Amino acid sequence: MDIGFIVSNAVVLACIYGTLAIGLSITWSSVGLINLAYGFIFALSGYGAWLASQYVTANGIVVLGAGVLTGALGGMLVCALAFIPIHDKPNFTVRGLIATLAISLVGTQALLWFFGPRAKNLPEIFGFWKVHLGGIILTSDKIGNVVTSIAVVTAVLLWMRSSRRGLEIRAMMMNPHAASIVGIGVRKTGFYVMAITGGLAGLAAVLLSQTYYISPFGGLTPMIKGVSIALCGGLGSVRGAVIAAIVLGLNEALTSRLLGGQYVLITQFVLIIVILLIRPRGIAGMLDRAREA
Amino acid sequence: MSAIVALSPPPALAPAPGKRAVLTVKGLSAGYGPMRVIHDLDLIVSSGERLGLVGLNGHGKSTLFYAIAGLTGWQRGSILLNGVEVGRTRSQGPGRYTHTVVRQGLALIPQGDEIFHGLTVEEHLDSGAFTPRAWKERKARKERIYAIFPPLVKLMKTPVGRLSGGERRMVSIGRGLMADASLFLVDEPTLGLAPKIGKSVLDALMSVELEDSAMVIAEQNVALLEGRVDRVIGMHAGKLKGEASAALGFQTRREL
Repeated sequence: MDIGFIVSNAVVLACIYGTLAIGLSITWSSVGLINLAYGFIFALSGYGAWLASQYVTANGIVVLGAGVLTGALGGMLVCALAFIPIHDKPNFTVRGLIATLAISLVGTQALLWFFGPRAKNLPEIFGFWKVHLGGIILTSDKIGNVVTSIAVVTAVLLWMRSSRRGLEIRAMMMNPHAASIVGIGVRKTGFYVMAITGGLAGLAAVLLSQTYYISPFGGLTPMIKGVSIALCGGLGSVRGAVIAAIVLGLNEALTSRLLGGQYVLITQFVLIIVILLIRPRGIAGMLDRAREA
Repeated sequence: MSAIVALSPPPALAPAPGKRAVLTVKGLSAGYGPMRVIHDLDLIVSSGERLGLVGLNGHGKSTLFYAIAGLTGWQRGSILLNGVEVGRTRSQGPGRYTHTVVRQGLALIPQGDEIFHGLTVEEHLDSGAFTPRAWKERKARKERIYAIFPPLVKLMKTPVGRLSGGERRMVSIGRGLMADASLFLVDEPTLGLAPKIGKSVLDALMSVELEDSAMVIAEQNVALLEGRVDRVIGMHAGKLKGEASAALGFQTRREL
């Protein structure tokens, strides 16, 4: 076990979990939904990519695209079931939480029913090659994972910065009431948000499947990691989520190196609790210089 | 309402001669939950008109604006905006139809700081250009806003959360003026501002060319509206009470 291997692993995981955390963070702050069905969308898009690789082609780009597309469709399904009918009813936050949890439970059981409990694996979409970099061996899937996730997340963020829909989503993230006054349709924007965050989940699912297998319940752990990173970064802040993903990824690497893998979750949550004790709004509280309210 | 001395009977429901009715409200009631704030209200606003709406806190000025935008808890009655029915009997879902009302030509400039803290001034103004036409012309429109509010030019790239109260109000009003609106509802533009800044904000509002559109300004300080608006209507306990037009030369008691 050399430190280079662990650090490169941690960076890969940080990229994937960071993608999930950004998706969760955007969902929460713009449509006000804590999407507990995110793990289900994750697993669903894994199966979508698997179906594409089995019945269409094992081409990496097609498989990746199928995963992202399935994720986007899954996100829109969750939006249609858990956001549209109840978003203007009282206590939406709690109702949405329960609705997405229900979708998650029903959905994973349905996946189990359709595909069976046996784990599936996706083809190596980035091929088989290696790079030796100063004594560290970087395999194709590691480099591919890091590059793809960073590229896609950057593209999404740039789109949110520059396009009109992105402006609408960001406006809704900051002040939903004022957004409706300006004339931004909450339901339409909700569909956009859920499709994009679902697509991010699909991306993460395909990328993670290069390391792990696809199984009906395989979305649970990534979702928990994503939620904790999003919380630590400050829900609603994209930059905070990125920094939190790096911090927690490093923590994971260092803990498993110095203490042993079984202590990872312990140090992870201790770190999150300490950060939230010092900065209740998460890491975003340190970044955000704008005056509140 | 003691502020208005020249009282006349309730306004007749017809636009001013030679003008088009921008907004026609008939039998509007609205409120939140069990509370009814607006009681069977009738109002007509004709094109090219600047209307002052005066009344104390809690007498329904903001609720009337919110009802027109579909943002109250519930409402019933008829609201015609440019001849299109935008009011409906609604029991829940505040804000669900607001964007369609805005598309019909409503610009609501809300009370206080309904702003997006993290967006820059420029992005903020962009967000007000909702209709496709306004979005295409947003550069020219922004120039117009900067001409009305020169202090904003320097702050273009600054997040709105860092601005002072007066600057925020300018951004909020500027955002409303970006739209292709035919009806501007301005809710207490001077609230919480220093008198001098409040006056300059109001002057800026007056400098907007209305042409075929109309503007309703809710305000508590009647003296500030004096000589600036065409008509003043008092609002009391969710009903319109009394009307004075500038042509009649409405008088205010200075000591108020």
